[in-house]
Amino acid sequence: MGPTLLSVRSASKRFGDVIALETIDLDIHEGEIIGLVGSNGAGKTTLLRLLSGVYRPTTGNVVLADGTQVEHARNRLGVVPENTGLYARLTAWENIRYHARIHGISDEEAWRRTMYFARHLDMADVLGRHTKGFSRGMRQKTALLRALVHAPSVLLLDEPTAGLDVTSARTVRELVRQLGEEGGTVIYSTHQLAEAQRVCNRIVIIHNGQVRADGTPQELLEQTQTHHLEEAYVALTTDVARPRQEDDKPLSKWSSWWRGLFTPKTPKEVGEDE
Amino acid sequence: MSKASVRVRAIAKKELVEFVRDWRTILAILIIPLLMFPLLFILFPLLLASEAAELDALVVDVVVQGDEIPEDLGLILNNSTLNIMYEPLPELESLSSPEGDQDRLRNGSVDLVVRLQMNETILQYAVLYLSTSEQSLEARSRTFEVLSAWEDNETIQRIEAAGLDPDQTLDPLQWEGDTSQSDVATQGEQAGMALSLFIPLVLSVWTFSSAIQPSIDMTAGERERGTLEALLGLPCTRMELLFGKWLAVATITGAGVLLQVAGLLFAIGYLATSDIISAPSVSPAALLLLCLAVLLFAIMVVAFELALAMRSHSVKEAGSILGPAVLIILFPALFTQVINLDGIEAFWFAIPVVNVLLALRELLMNRIVYGHVAIWLISSTVYALGAAYYAARQFNREDIVTSLS
Repeated sequence: MGPTLLSVRSASKRFGDVIALETIDLDIHEGEIIGLVGSNGAGKTTLLRLLSGVYRPTTGNVVLADGTQVEHARNRLGVVPENTGLYARLTAWENIRYHARIHGISDEEAWRRTMYFARHLDMADVLGRHTKGFSRGMRQKTALLRALVHAPSVLLLDEPTAGLDVTSARTVRELVRQLGEEGGTVIYSTHQLAEAQRVCNRIVIIHNGQVRADGTPQELLEQTQTHHLEEAYVALTTDVARPRQEDDKPLSKWSSWWRGLFTPKTPKEVGEDE
Repeated sequence: MSKASVRVRAIAKKELVEFVRDWRTILAILIIPLLMFPLLFILFPLLLASEAAELDALVVDVVVQGDEIPEDLGLILNNSTLNIMYEPLPELESLSSPEGDQDRLRNGSVDLVVRLQMNETILQYAVLYLSTSEQSLEARSRTFEVLSAWEDNETIQRIEAAGLDPDQTLDPLQWEGDTSQSDVATQGEQAGMALSLFIPLVLSVWTFSSAIQPSIDMTAGERERGTLEALLGLPCTRMELLFGKWLAVATITGAGVLLQVAGLLFAIGYLATSDIISAPSVSPAALLLLCLAVLLFAIMVVAFELALAMRSHSVKEAGSILGPAVLIILFPALFTQVINLDGIEAFWFAIPVVNVLLALRELLMNRIVYGHVAIWLISSTVYALGAAYYAARQFNREDIVTSLS
């Protein structure tokens, strides 16, 4: 196990009355490929946003090994959000260069690093094209190139293979594995247990805002006394999964009343009136 | 160059590149303002001329009712462009009573009825017409010209018959010399006065309205497209992000406003026929203050719009808030046009929006009143800082990252 790079210390996250993440403690070590596994709404994206410094924890903190708060050390992180976040009117290279410039990387250095990974991802020939016409796979690969342009210590990937065709998903997984072999650290959120098993050397199962298990696939099997990770996952998440809540701010009383005026009753409600 | 300024420049540059690549936005925010006034100045007179020619070509049917029509009036009527039909005067309580002729005027079978009745030495008359008909209004206008010509002629004849000089009798008060020499205001000052009535209006309304689309695109648009989250994960502060976007919107808006004013000045200088409107005489100090007033106004407006757009959950919501918000500028802008600047109370220069508009009016007239300058400078700075603080608060909200896409 390599030295600790990033630590989540008693961190929780609330949005109003909604507890998105309960108190979490997590140490991320150099060279680990960690799979955050959980259903939709489990809290994977919230945890990734805490790790990337986009969210501030309600309690606790997220710090680097030298004690720096993560929001002040974003230049050491590379982030690929779930929807890639590419600008359609810019070319793939311009998207990458934009982030490189904000990271303070020269255009020459950014191009050199981009070309190194672009060859692996078979993207070298399309860097000059506008991303508007890109397939989901090409967008995901461009976002990966963008996240790697400043040589981050930790790479955070939110559902990087969601919606990708088989070949593209395989290419992304191979790149992640290659980064791990080269000593890179990757945190990889997915709701596909099989994928996490194939790519990651450590799995963190999140359910309803809680970390239910954390360890190597073998450790999870031993912990749950099961023979397959799927069985282990089911054993650890027996309670009903909550719906995704983080993005749905509760409506104000006025908005709720107004919307209700134009919302027809369901047949069940009509039956109750009668 | 500091790292922060490099990041701010990178953000602003990227926003501008994206803006330039959308030809529809370029057309709406840069080309239309440039061409708007020149086209207006070219097309409006053409339209007026064409309308006037159309009216001149109209054949209007006029019924003249009367039993004793003076011979010279009859001659003028017959030589006019009116299509005259004579009828006897019906029995009426009053010449102005429309009874009997109402229906044919309303159904358009005649355009106008003139009633004439000689009462000793006075020719009494009434003109019946339909004010909602262009044809009838044109007939009325031509008829009054004829009646007026006859009246002028008759007046002169009667004065001469009494042994008097018509010129001395009718015009006992006469201007001597060239009237254009009597105004001691220079041509530049007159131009400043004229321009002060619409330049502030154009500047303020266009600054606000042209900033709407880029503000929404760079905030609610980024949020909706899901590009904001990746941006927030970068090593730039939210204030740098705000400043970069502000710089981009202000550049776009500034370019739009400059082009519109350039188009307006070109139209006035080369297309308008009036001698009054020319280059205003504004001192360098007034020009400097003018730029400062516009800058403070732009800081306030753009920051306010960015804040409102960032507060919105979607592009649609931002549009429905910022669209009607133009009225916040439009009403004070119209109101300010009628405020008399001579002896104006100082408090006007502390009211948001009104203060900058009044300052622009004064400065275009080359008036630098130090008390007023101090008040609008301080109040505008306070409002600009307030708007920037409000925008910073919106950009620091944690929920701006949540994407609706």
